[in-house]
Amino acid sequence: MKTVAINSLKKSALISACCAVLFAGQAQARDHLLGALDNPTLLSCENLHWSGQSAEAEACYLAIIRTVNPPEIQAEAMWALGDLHTADELFEQAAQQQPENAMILVRTGELYLQTYQYQNAYDFFRQALELEPDNAWAHIGAAEALSSGNNPEEVNAHLEAVQTHFASPAGARLRAMLMAIHSSMQQDQYDKTRGQLDQAWELAEDEQLPGMELNALEAALAFVKRDLAQVQPFIDAALEEAPTYGDAYAIPGYFASITRRYAESGEFYEQAVEIEPKNWNARLELGQNYLRLNKIDQGIQQIELSFEGDAFNPKTLNMMRLLDTFIERFVDRSFPEPPQGDGVPELVLRMDRDEADVLTPYARELAEASMATFEERYNFVAKEPVTVEIFPNHEDFVVRSIGMPGVGILGVTFGYLFAMDSPTGHPDETYHWGTTLWHEMAHVYTLEATRHGVPRWYSEGISVYEEWNTGPIPGIKIPSYVLQAMAEGKFLPVAQLDDGFMRPTYDSQVMVSYMQAGLIFQFISEEYGHDKIVNMLYQFVDGSDEVAAIENALGISDRDFDRHFKQYIDIQYGPLLGSLQIWQQDMDATRQAYRDGDWEATIAAADRAIFTYPDYVEQDSPYIAKARAYAQLGEYDLKRETLETFWKLGGYSASSLKELADSYLDQDRQEEAIAVFRDVHFADPFDAATHGKLGDLYMAAEQPDAALQEYLVGLALKPLDQATANYRVASAYKALNDQGQAMEYLMTALDIAPQFRPAQQLLLEMTRLPGRETREINSTAN
Amino acid sequence: MRATLLCSTLLLASVSLSLNAQAAIYITIVQGLGGEPTFDEKFHDQATAIAEASASLTDPEKISLFSGADASRENLLTHFASQSSMMTESDRAAIYLIGHGSFDGDEYKFNIPGLDITTADILNIMSAFPGQNHFLLNSSSTSGALLEPLENENRILVTATRSGNEKNATFFGQFFAEALSNGDADLNKNNNISIEEAFGYAQRQVEEYFESQGQLATEHAEIRGDGAAQFTLARLNPVIIATEDPRIAELQEQSLEIDRQIEGLQLRRTEFSNQEYIEQLQALILQSATINEEIDQLLEETDN
Repeated sequence: MKTVAINSLKKSALISACCAVLFAGQAQARDHLLGALDNPTLLSCENLHWSGQSAEAEACYLAIIRTVNPPEIQAEAMWALGDLHTADELFEQAAQQQPENAMILVRTGELYLQTYQYQNAYDFFRQALELEPDNAWAHIGAAEALSSGNNPEEVNAHLEAVQTHFASPAGARLRAMLMAIHSSMQQDQYDKTRGQLDQAWELAEDEQLPGMELNALEAALAFVKRDLAQVQPFIDAALEEAPTYGDAYAIPGYFASITRRYAESGEFYEQAVEIEPKNWNARLELGQNYLRLNKIDQGIQQIELSFEGDAFNPKTLNMMRLLDTFIERFVDRSFPEPPQGDGVPELVLRMDRDEADVLTPYARELAEASMATFEERYNFVAKEPVTVEIFPNHEDFVVRSIGMPGVGILGVTFGYLFAMDSPTGHPDETYHWGTTLWHEMAHVYTLEATRHGVPRWYSEGISVYEEWNTGPIPGIKIPSYVLQAMAEGKFLPVAQLDDGFMRPTYDSQVMVSYMQAGLIFQFISEEYGHDKIVNMLYQFVDGSDEVAAIENALGISDRDFDRHFKQYIDIQYGPLLGSLQIWQQDMDATRQAYRDGDWEATIAAADRAIFTYPDYVEQDSPYIAKARAYAQLGEYDLKRETLETFWKLGGYSASSLKELADSYLDQDRQEEAIAVFRDVHFADPFDAATHGKLGDLYMAAEQPDAALQEYLVGLALKPLDQATANYRVASAYKALNDQGQAMEYLMTALDIAPQFRPAQQLLLEMTRLPGRETREINSTAN
Repeated sequence: MRATLLCSTLLLASVSLSLNAQAAIYITIVQGLGGEPTFDEKFHDQATAIAEASASLTDPEKISLFSGADASRENLLTHFASQSSMMTESDRAAIYLIGHGSFDGDEYKFNIPGLDITTADILNIMSAFPGQNHFLLNSSSTSGALLEPLENENRILVTATRSGNEKNATFFGQFFAEALSNGDADLNKNNNISIEEAFGYAQRQVEEYFESQGQLATEHAEIRGDGAAQFTLARLNPVIIATEDPRIAELQEQSLEIDRQIEGLQLRRTEFSNQEYIEQLQALILQSATINEEIDQLLEETDN
């Protein structure tokens, strides 16, 4: 046992050495000791600190360092003073002197926890437990270190060890309870939280333990349960005990944030940093909240302050990198342009400067159309400008949304601001950015109409329902693995549907829950009418839950609702779900025949799959394979007809739609070609050729304003053939009788290609216009 | 009518090219070893496409295509020695190396039957050419290794890779060959494909290829040397020279003179304000456009 400890301590020294820079210069308040240590000198300093006597506490800690004290106590003083590196060295020295003292290892682990080195921290706690298997403080530390990962069973095992062992100190048991309370609240288990809080209070009062964190949690619980009058008294109680305890506000702030009450969350965090300026985590959260609330400058300021105080919080580092992108690359485009009335815009598009000229017209079109749609359908007028942020880098978007990278989300709505991935963040064909924008805009309306009181599933369900019914590619689209889940009866009762989003128990459950929520609104709309959806929505303003909302709006219990919904699903999808296995076999046969180059067999298998599930237009849709098989057989009319069906059902594979549009062009069916090319933009707006073709179609249809937009976007894509791109813009301007702009672009084209005959002819035409004595030359040709 | 207009365009282009008629261009295309049928076929197609495109530019006897056993080091050295002896100071040489290459960290080799062509061989060959602005395209893997040893003010170099470390078989060569007969590559619409235009086209196509595959690019083409925009590698359409109508001939001369003035103006654009530059450019292009229109009318009259 001893050997293990010594070896591990050597390892800890290595860790310490490698992290010397990491530890330097931090000064963040520590957690309360809760009786973990009993050195009277140290405790007197701790008492001064928690009673708000900061100067006296600092003098007290300095005295510990300047007088003869054991190294582990000096380490605690250094830690309290913010010199974490020296604290680490002193703990190491202490451990070498007392290799069997588990508490030194525990405290070293706690130090590492504070510096986000969870694995290293866990190693120290594990070493302590090897020395003292029942050490409750080591179990608590190990549980906290592991809670940053994804192993709840192990976390619970450590917490259980604390709670069940008769000798566990009361302070350790309180910490275990506090962890459990945080966990319950994070899972919206408020009744359970109430019981846990009551038990914790009993323990704290019996053992005379500090109650400030309990009061902060009481405030948080009151807030999330909308018992707002009780929030401040609990916070005041916490501050009465510990006047500089910023977490008295930061803890309610955190729970406000995870329940999407960002404005209130920001207010809590403002108070937290007011009373505890060195609460760097609160500053970071405050900064993030400002960004969510579109207070960009204030957000940047707080995140930079947090970084100055604690440069090694990975979340802060990620946010700092994001800010670089934000500051250097993003531009705002406000609409209406020019400003109307009081000058406050209705819509702000915030995009990477390299993408703004391409995305703006289409993002604006969709955003304005969706705002008008939702305003009418949900009886709510936006009270602030809606800001849409579009990120070309997926990880930047994720960090902007949740602070840490590595999560597969497409869009996040904070209120009047939402962020989403640009199509450049998803080079494959599975991403339809237009639908994502529509989906997120629906969240803006459901969140703001209910003052952020709408349950997650309800807001998601309406967004999916609106995708299907009013979005840029209408039609109910359900992935095959969701159908499988439906067939297996994996839909949740409506009262538990939030769990499917927030606490998924299997891989695809979040997507299954999206689809279930969307289908629920499809069901309500068809059976009760869309108005009932709106009626239910507004009940969440006052804090009603879904059970009450269903009863009030639909006059049935949630259980009856579940039963009716199941009947609806059985009617709508029963035959399909019953044939799912056959459909899958036909899909597989289609793929195999296509791979084998057996075009007749491909068409036959695809036809069988389409017969079973004609609405399936995802990227592996049998329509695509069937159309390509027809092309291989030279059956171009049949290919076009197949792709036409695919498109009309809401298929959005950009390459397939481009083929369809080109085939319409071959047949001089300009109107259909225009419609298809327009749809391509909402899947793949970065194809210069599509913009050129669509612009030409608009010119032929005598719609030069629409052509100009396409040509300008085509030019913004920096095509290799700049002469043609500029010439096209010039021709559109000329058609719009804007001679100045037309001449500017025309001369740019001719500067690149002086012998470009169509451009020369346009120049002759323009200079021979009736009544033109002089040429307009105010150009800035490159 | 359509045929006549096309004829006019080609006529002007051909006359424009005749400016350099007194200077010959010698084109050598070397199809290296493919190693397997797929690559043999690809290299053959590329070499053939380059040879066909080059035929629009110069006499057949000045175009040499080496492939298979003929593409030996000995044959090539003999060929280039002979070519050097025939060339004058005003002549130019264009060499296309289509195939695989290898780089061992010290020396680049282009793979042909028997002994490979080495960096030193290529350096000797190009150094022996009289005059300047000779062109080398090497579309092989690792071809970037040639850049440093070969780069100088007398050469325009294009390689499919930026260094000897990019060792995967390349796609650049097929797109470069494609550019020589593709109107999309003719960015200045003068009916000619310059080195710069072919390079830009091929580079963009390679980028788009890797993007469409969702892969990181394993090749990054490089271009070195001055004058790539002025060095024509192919004409897009067959040349139709001359007319017996003296009015058309005179207009052609005027058009050529205006083209020269436009080129001169563009070279001196920094001497003018933007407004002055555009005014002068517009005036010249209007003259050019008017003359082209007159030529079209005369050709139409002739047809009728």
